[in-house]
Amino acid sequence: MKKYGFFPGCVAKESCKELFNSTMLLADRLGIELIELTAASCCGASVVNDTNRDIARVLNARTYAQAEALGLDDVITICSTCTGHMRAANKELRESEERMSAANAVLGKFGAKYNGGVIVRHLLWLLIDDIGLDTLRSMVVRPLNGLRVAPFYGCHIIRPESVNGWESARNPHSLEDVIEAIGGEAIDYAGKTRCCGFHIQLEKEGTAASMVGQNMRIAKDKGAEVVLTPCPLCHLALDGYQADAAARWGRTDLPTFHLPQLVAFALGVPAAKLGLNKHLIDPRRILTERELIA
Amino acid sequence: MAQITLDIFRFDQATDEVPHRDRVNVDIPETTTVLDALETAKADVDGSITFRRSCRSAICGSCSMNINGVTGLACKTPCNTVLREDGSIHIDPMPNFQPMKDLVVHMDPFWDKYTRLKPYLQPADSDEEHERERRVSPDDMKKLVEAANCVMCATCYALCPVVSVDPAFAGPAAIAYAYRFIEDVRDAKTKERLAQINDDYLWLCAHCYACSYCPKHVEPHDRIVDVKRRTVKERVHMDKPGPRHALVVNKTIRQTGMLAETEVIQGTVGRFNIRGLIKIAPLGLRMAAKGKMPPLFLRPIPKIDEVRTIYESLEVPVS
Repeated sequence: MKKYGFFPGCVAKESCKELFNSTMLLADRLGIELIELTAASCCGASVVNDTNRDIARVLNARTYAQAEALGLDDVITICSTCTGHMRAANKELRESEERMSAANAVLGKFGAKYNGGVIVRHLLWLLIDDIGLDTLRSMVVRPLNGLRVAPFYGCHIIRPESVNGWESARNPHSLEDVIEAIGGEAIDYAGKTRCCGFHIQLEKEGTAASMVGQNMRIAKDKGAEVVLTPCPLCHLALDGYQADAAARWGRTDLPTFHLPQLVAFALGVPAAKLGLNKHLIDPRRILTERELIA
Repeated sequence: MAQITLDIFRFDQATDEVPHRDRVNVDIPETTTVLDALETAKADVDGSITFRRSCRSAICGSCSMNINGVTGLACKTPCNTVLREDGSIHIDPMPNFQPMKDLVVHMDPFWDKYTRLKPYLQPADSDEEHERERRVSPDDMKKLVEAANCVMCATCYALCPVVSVDPAFAGPAAIAYAYRFIEDVRDAKTKERLAQINDDYLWLCAHCYACSYCPKHVEPHDRIVDVKRRTVKERVHMDKPGPRHALVVNKTIRQTGMLAETEVIQGTVGRFNIRGLIKIAPLGLRMAAKGKMPPLFLRPIPKIDEVRTIYESLEVPVS
């Protein structure tokens, strides 16, 4: 069984526990072992950068040192923001001996060292690179019967391209490929690579909600029935703020799935185990309407 | 040579109520820039097609437009890099602006935000009193070169999703240009400039990196972070949500290793800001009803002392 270092990130351990749980259930179905890096800290979530770039980098270097010490150089994330910021820190460390030795000078104070061997990837990329779309397709026991799914990437898994670079940031297709592999129909709409506004919710809530409404309006008008996102921050925004955005953008009420929830569902994990009851816009209704659950 | 179809947004505010589109065929080499394709269309097919352009070499910043849904300089975009399968290129005016005529937009909101910065050097003394030239070391100048490369093409402003829903936001270019003066050692108005750009919603940047497509590599997203850091360092607007958010996130990571959602929300909005807390209460209650609340208290991660060591080793005191 292939083993990976697993970095769940803060939100999957706090307000989106259903993401953590469905990821573990999906890993079980896929026959991979995700070994949680339990002593890892927050990636910095783009906010630590706002005060101190060095701290953000070295916090991540500490996580990588732990992964290396456990022989788990292949680190898997389930959050777009974790992916982007951990990859950015890793790039900065691996590209500069000066930054690497400065980081190791701090890590050395508690006997840790990072050698630069870690690779950070999102579960989405693992599904395509390591499992493969054909294998994934063959594992589907409950195809989505053409459920119209709007992909919503989350900025930090695609931009900046110099940090992520797994696919084109302007025209990504990994989520679409996964949606189609599990029997859904991917909706093409202008909002899929745009921002959910999560990071400004506490700065100006109305603006953040409007960013949700704008994107969900386009998705709904293109015929989407549900949204699929690899990012729990996007999930909190899309699931939480469509109601507030309705005054400006009209009601959209699109249920939003975490990536592992919908894939695990198609692979036969019982819907009752996926925490769908935790969503503010209940996705079970559309699944019932489409006769995907009883 | 290839035949390329330009599918162009057409609108004249003086005569048209609604825009329409024209499809214009031009015979040009595929490596021609979109700007030269437009010039050919204007010269050979329809002289009324209207767009801004001047230098033709990504220096003047005039010809930013939306090319197949992607905003950028037409003079820096070869046709063969954007050609659709059917041999067409769809050209629209920059989003986030009111169209004036065809591909020309009203730039006023962009210039207004730029002028508010007082985009000129404000040294401590006047030039008349100053006996010598104002010298800057190469190291100090290096910090400014990237930002000073801005040609004000407004590509970043057109791409910004925050501007698209909230015109109060200064936008990436204005903040990057504010940085250019804030970090200039000759300038004496650092704190005033920081206060100004904070008033213009510096912290409303959503960290989306849409402005990472800057054609001049100003990297506005990085400059925005630089200005935020300087804001915290100079302790400007520390009672506002933006700086408070940055500090409370750091505080919870230092204490628990995690970004503790409950404390971050309280700390950003303000524990005693009853109005602010009431405003966010409906969503909190909806989440609570679904059993979707972050824990009130977090147990620190294993080896939390290591996280604290990192902070103690690298922190620049902000008290």
